[in-house]
Amino acid sequence: MSFGPSSLGWISIEALAQARPIADAALGLLMMEVGRRLDLSWLRHNPELLRSTFADIALSFALIFAFALWLVGLTPAWAAATAAVTMASAPAVVLLTIEEARAQGQVTERIILHTAISSAASFVAFALVLGVVHAELSEDWLNAVVHPLWVVVGALLVGGIGSWLALNIAHILPKRSLAQVFVLVASALLAVGIARMLAVPVFLTLFLMGVLLASRDRLQTLRYTALPEGHWLLAIVLFVIVGASLPWQEFTWLAGLQALGLLLVRAVAKAGAVAWSGGSLPLGKRLLVGVGIQPLSATAVFMAYELASLYPEVGRSALTLPLFAAAMMELVGPALCRLALRRSGECESSDLARGGIT
Amino acid sequence: MKIQPLGEFTDSAAFSLGVELELQLVSRRDFDLTRGATDLIGSLDYDGRFGEIKLEITESMIEISTLAQSTVDGIAADLGGLRDTLRHHCERNNIGVCGGGTHPFHHWPERRICPGDRFNDLYQRYGYLAKQFTVFGQHIHVGCTSADDAIWLTQALGVYVPAFIALSASSPFVDGVDSFYQSARLNAVSAFPLSGQCPPLNSWQEFTEHFATLQACGIAQGIKDLYWDVRPKPEFGTVELRVCDTPLTIEQATSLAALAQSLASWLLRTRPRLDTAKQAHVARYNKFQACRYGLEAMISDPLDLCQKPLKQTLAGLLESISEDAQALACERWLSPLKLAVAGNAGDADWLREREKEHGNLNDVVREASERLIGTDNENQEKTR
Repeated sequence: MSFGPSSLGWISIEALAQARPIADAALGLLMMEVGRRLDLSWLRHNPELLRSTFADIALSFALIFAFALWLVGLTPAWAAATAAVTMASAPAVVLLTIEEARAQGQVTERIILHTAISSAASFVAFALVLGVVHAELSEDWLNAVVHPLWVVVGALLVGGIGSWLALNIAHILPKRSLAQVFVLVASALLAVGIARMLAVPVFLTLFLMGVLLASRDRLQTLRYTALPEGHWLLAIVLFVIVGASLPWQEFTWLAGLQALGLLLVRAVAKAGAVAWSGGSLPLGKRLLVGVGIQPLSATAVFMAYELASLYPEVGRSALTLPLFAAAMMELVGPALCRLALRRSGECESSDLARGGIT
Repeated sequence: MKIQPLGEFTDSAAFSLGVELELQLVSRRDFDLTRGATDLIGSLDYDGRFGEIKLEITESMIEISTLAQSTVDGIAADLGGLRDTLRHHCERNNIGVCGGGTHPFHHWPERRICPGDRFNDLYQRYGYLAKQFTVFGQHIHVGCTSADDAIWLTQALGVYVPAFIALSASSPFVDGVDSFYQSARLNAVSAFPLSGQCPPLNSWQEFTEHFATLQACGIAQGIKDLYWDVRPKPEFGTVELRVCDTPLTIEQATSLAALAQSLASWLLRTRPRLDTAKQAHVARYNKFQACRYGLEAMISDPLDLCQKPLKQTLAGLLESISEDAQALACERWLSPLKLAVAGNAGDADWLREREKEHGNLNDVVREASERLIGTDNENQEKTR
């Protein structure tokens, strides 16, 4: 953040633009991983979990929308855009933190599930909001219908092609082999390239590709094939680029306070939803799930830029709120997620001397 | 050190049965072991009608134990009910459950000791062995009407330890490689100082004296510290067979219980001559043979001073006990064992065959999990 064009300026706007494909690739791979982990069969077996994920999505959107509309004074369309962009947890942060802590257990699994489902919901909301923004700002009803439709259909098409390619080529290779890893990553990068070319959001395309990879893999062709360890390096590049691209020159104390307010409302919505409706876990652990799903960063920033680019003259200023919220959470989010995992006792290194879960 | 008194031997109904199965908790994503036992137990909504579901030493294990039953059919019903209850609650927590004596590819340092003073004491005492003890066995309790009968039966069943090992063997893979053993699980158990055979004791009196010596020397606190292959369990009034791997199906586990019941009945009825001192010379070797080669083992006979193929002696044994099995109404449960002796593939062979087919162990655990859970649905509705 400090080295970006809006602060010290050591990373120029041109350098950021050049690095964008790397950020897209990093975000794409992480979104594909989250998509692969979207396990809807768990919801079928555990209705309480279905209730808690629905409560998380609905409450987060509703409270953030109300806050942005009535307390910040945004128009309904931009308030909805703000809610759509910030309602989900940050998949990159959550996956990185879990991987780093080598966490396993019910709190960990539920954090992943909530993150994957809230991401999916935020993408749906994002597509709807695209139409609403078009309708409000240009009164072009054709654009209001066709653009969101193209975003969804295009992403589904590209994600479908990517997953089809990956599964069919990987099928003839040994399971969990390096060759399969190569095919998986190459297919993902191909999908990123096509998505960029067709102007459909990379995060949505790769998320859908991940979902399709998991749901259509009936022969378990790629089920056990993990991304190579090195992909976390791309994630670090992603965080640097996202941090550096944030519009700090537009920062005011009022904007900062509003972003803080949004994060507080969001925290109450998420923790409240999980605590109230989480079921089948003790209240303490449900609250830890609520803390673990607080991160907000790269996907939100990318979505915000995607929306802002539609009508740059108004979009940029209208979306400073979610961007500042994401900036704050880029610092605090990983710490909160790590805290939840550590307090749940599910990290590999927790309490080694005693051995037990505290 | 807290000494736990041995207590009186509680007489129980002759040949009554109880079965404990240690099961694997696996991730449904990649079928590696996962940590989930405490949360699973915490979320259980179950009235105990089929027996108990409880924690074992690490978070990746769960133990189910039936109620005491007079018949093998009763054991089958309890195991079915417990299995279906566990399946229902595991699905709610997105955890898979699986049989088999070892998890084929888990990484033992990743295991977590369950909360509780006893588990923590074991971890402090045995260190990393406690985590490596994430292996999965079947324990079979057979009821005895007197303490002396229990000690005699403990000694008599010791001779048949290789048979139970070979028939239950389901742990050919360890750390992701083929161990060449049919049952590699027992190698993890044998690292413990109080594992192995019960010493040659001839009466309850001798047993209590031996146990008092162990306590006085600070070797054992309670009966649970004795990891013997066969041991008396005074509080239940049973003899406990502890050498079986957890089979891949509850039907096989039930068949092994039927063998234990019929064999105990036959032994106590015919009272064959025991030479425990001589048996002690060959016991470890015979156990190794059964672990390594399963039903293809060559068993040393210290009385006839020769080696005999296990398959051959087992075929004869199953014939000998059929009368007792008939009397106990469990003869049909011995049929799968007879088929195994006649050449049908056992669980270890099945696991190897699936590994050969898939070329990876993740799919092997997935199929093994489906095998444990996917059969015998008759009790499923009752548990919900």
